Amino acid sequence: MYRQKYLFLLPGLIALTAIILFPLIFTIRVSFSGWDVYNPGLSWAGVKNYVRLFEDTRYWSALSRLSLLAISTVLIQYVLGFALALMVWKDVHARRFFRVLFLVPMMTTPVIMSVIWRTIFHESLGPLNPLLDAIVLGGQPWLSSPGWAFAAVMIVEIWQWTPFMFLLLLAGLLSLPSEPYLAAKIDGAGPVRTFFSVTFPGLAAISVGALLIRLIEASKILDTVYVLTSGGPGEATETASYYIYIRGLRDFQIGYSAALSITYLVIMIVALTIIAKLMVRFLVKGQS
Amino acid sequence: MTDLTQSAALSRSEPEAVPALRPGLIAKYVFILLWSAFVVFPFLWALTTSFKDANGVTNGATWLPWIQYRPSTQGWSSLFGGAGGTDITRPYLNSIAVTLGASVISITLGTLAAYGLSRFTFRFGWMRNADITFFFISQRIMPPIVLAIPFFLMLQALGLLDTLAGLILVYVALLMPIAVWVMVDFFNSIPRGLDEMAWMDGCDPVTTFVRVILPNALPGLVVAGMFCVIFGWNDFFFAFTLTFTKTQLLPVAIVALNSSVTPWWALSASALISIAPLVLLAFLVERFLSKGGLAGAVR
Amino acid sequence: MLDLHNLRLAENGVPHLDSITASFAPGTLTTILGRTGAGKTSLLRAIAGLAIPDAGEIRLDGADWRRLPPWKRPIAMVTQQFINYPHLPVLDNVAFPLVRRGEKWPAARDAARAMLDKVGLAAMVDRRPSQLSGGQQQRVAIARALVKKAPVLLLDEPFVNLDYKLREGLREELVEMLRTETGTTVLYASTEPREALQLGDRIMLMAEGRLLDAGDPRAIFERPATLEAAQVVNAPPINIVPLEIDTVARMGPFGTQELGALGRDLAPGRYRLGLRAGDIAPGGPHRARVILTEVSGSETVTHLDLAGLPLVMHEKSVVAHAPGSEIGISARLDRGFVFAANGALISQGASHG
Repeated sequence: MYRQKYLFLLPGLIALTAIILFPLIFTIRVSFSGWDVYNPGLSWAGVKNYVRLFEDTRYWSALSRLSLLAISTVLIQYVLGFALALMVWKDVHARRFFRVLFLVPMMTTPVIMSVIWRTIFHESLGPLNPLLDAIVLGGQPWLSSPGWAFAAVMIVEIWQWTPFMFLLLLAGLLSLPSEPYLAAKIDGAGPVRTFFSVTFPGLAAISVGALLIRLIEASKILDTVYVLTSGGPGEATETASYYIYIRGLRDFQIGYSAALSITYLVIMIVALTIIAKLMVRFLVKGQS
Repeated sequence: MTDLTQSAALSRSEPEAVPALRPGLIAKYVFILLWSAFVVFPFLWALTTSFKDANGVTNGATWLPWIQYRPSTQGWSSLFGGAGGTDITRPYLNSIAVTLGASVISITLGTLAAYGLSRFTFRFGWMRNADITFFFISQRIMPPIVLAIPFFLMLQALGLLDTLAGLILVYVALLMPIAVWVMVDFFNSIPRGLDEMAWMDGCDPVTTFVRVILPNALPGLVVAGMFCVIFGWNDFFFAFTLTFTKTQLLPVAIVALNSSVTPWWALSASALISIAPLVLLAFLVERFLSKGGLAGAVR
Repeated sequence: MLDLHNLRLAENGVPHLDSITASFAPGTLTTILGRTGAGKTSLLRAIAGLAIPDAGEIRLDGADWRRLPPWKRPIAMVTQQFINYPHLPVLDNVAFPLVRRGEKWPAARDAARAMLDKVGLAAMVDRRPSQLSGGQQQRVAIARALVKKAPVLLLDEPFVNLDYKLREGLREELVEMLRTETGTTVLYASTEPREALQLGDRIMLMAEGRLLDAGDPRAIFERPATLEAAQVVNAPPINIVPLEIDTVARMGPFGTQELGALGRDLAPGRYRLGLRAGDIAPGGPHRARVILTEVSGSETVTHLDLAGLPLVMHEKSVVAHAPGSEIGISARLDRGFVFAANGALISQGASHG
């Protein structure tokens, strides 16, 4: 009776499947081949690439570096975004102005802003070190020391994506019902208790959503690193995506990079699923 | 509806809701102002740099034109092929074409799919509606690098490498999950009774969608469109790997400036002009946010 | 003639429609009376094609509707929710179904304007539905349903979400309008017995997806075939008093009673006596505790506890019985209905004129 329903679903489903699934299956096939500069084509190399990958310490350290980068920046973005959302939620002058201002970074193109940030972090000509000197913190070798380069990537990520957390959490705050606040007021709860017993539980679901979306996006980090540090100095800021990029599109080890990609994807899906389940369990279900 | 009335109530209570200054309140404003400074810092720096020339840049970090350095319009004139820059008109138009093209296609296909998923029951093997919806949205998990090489080979085989059409095709896969995500939630918030009423008034499902649902879907479409434009306009990696010189997109053109003998002034000017349209979008987002239109759409 | 034959519909093992067989003649208004969850909405939705029955037939003048989607069935429906097209002004809302049927906009708008005039919304034609009150929105929905002149009109508790006064007024207007629609088969789902008595040519009782009884409203009210039917047609709900007959009639907390004509032909055994809330009155020998008093309009419904037996008393005046207090009550037991253990009506007391 409702045969027309396929007219709605199928065009999008087929288009997406065609665009994504064929490349994905192709990548899986390529990962079992020895495709490189010297032997282009779909030869059969068995699991050679996967064996090699297990001994590739550079890959595994890129993965753990990515986890550190993704988890730490996303948590910082969450805390800052939540704080900012609470501050411009109500009771503040020029509320709408600050809201727009705080949204702006997420509207900007990450690579283009990274290009600007690179000039800011420039050790001798950039504005950051003179500023730090002026407030007696002292200038730093931002892009040439491993630790500071990592920090630089973090700063750029936080600048760019805190607004996303801010947006979702503010939208959540604005849709909270007002009755519980009245009840808390009548109970004589202070601002801290009201936050933990009313505001935070009310935003638990949206928090999980926001954290997950950001973790997914952060685990793909590539653009920023490419422009800001090119993975350097050395391998200090090399993420999984960037390492696969080097192996695949710089060294043209297509087969090997395909194996790296598939492993990376599987690890990501498993890790994100576990994180999602844990977050739902502790943040959402723990409330009721 | 509740969102709307509530935020309306909030804005009404604004004047008397601003209390007198207390230490906590001072800390709050200090925090807001510090963050604001952090947010505008790169923009101000880019703005001042865009009016420098080689001398202005190599003299170190200076902010004030006329006082600290002699302003020059070299950076801005280079946008149109002047000294030390490249003409970004072409990449700009390319970016607009790809972003709008991919957004329109993604929203069209995504909205149709989302409506189907919201109103009818589907079963493909073990997959039910929730699984199909998840399949759509989960495509966002796919790291670009995983798809880059097969996309390259696929577009090569189709003869679409380094073309607008090829990029649009790839961006559709990137943006459609976002459109589905926003629109499924949106359609779920429209009561089914409306569709059923249209059916009884003689509309088949397609007519119902076109004549009744679509005219009422504008808020959802705006939010979906906003997200599609943001993610489409700001992508770099696919534009970078799937085009060479013929179909350069804006971010690629600007990053290319970066790798040459860095003309910071041209870089800054082109960066500012390329992020400008989306910064304007922030005002639109905020308007929707204040009206409560976003809360329903992002959950 | 709209015929339903052995209609079945279950969801997750719960029957919503359980072998419904019924016929509805053109030009009649049938009130489908039942509590919430009795299957009334499922029945209307099945007729409209919005719910697909698991088995059974629906026919209009012999034509099989089983494979006919909702948009091809000649029906009109008004639901509990005030559903109108939010993007269209009131006039176009009402003209919309005519246009979808192939009429041109100007002609459809003329017909819509005439219909809106009838429902008293002539001044509102340019407004959006969201700018109207609940009652006005439902008038638009009614106008949109009537303008189609569909042979089958389904009304699913159309006034339940309106306040009491508005409900009464709109119902009367609707009855007046339907009177002129000769040839239309109208099904009106309702939970209120009073509404059924006021409206219908015919009444159909439903409970748990089953058809309990059908016929003239007055007759069914006077003589419900079963205890279940008596429970559906009575609001406030009918009281059920245990009745045990051996040499005398024992009636739970009411003790031994003389039943007179009502009990004359009853064999010894266990029965249930149905007693209308209006047949219990304050003042009398039985001490009952007041649990709750509800005043609605000029009437009072009091929930009582008589030595463990829950009773409902209906008074045609506004009375305040304090909850927790004890009052004396009397019961016109001779006006009760006697039901057998299986629920069938056996005998009936003095007339209820």
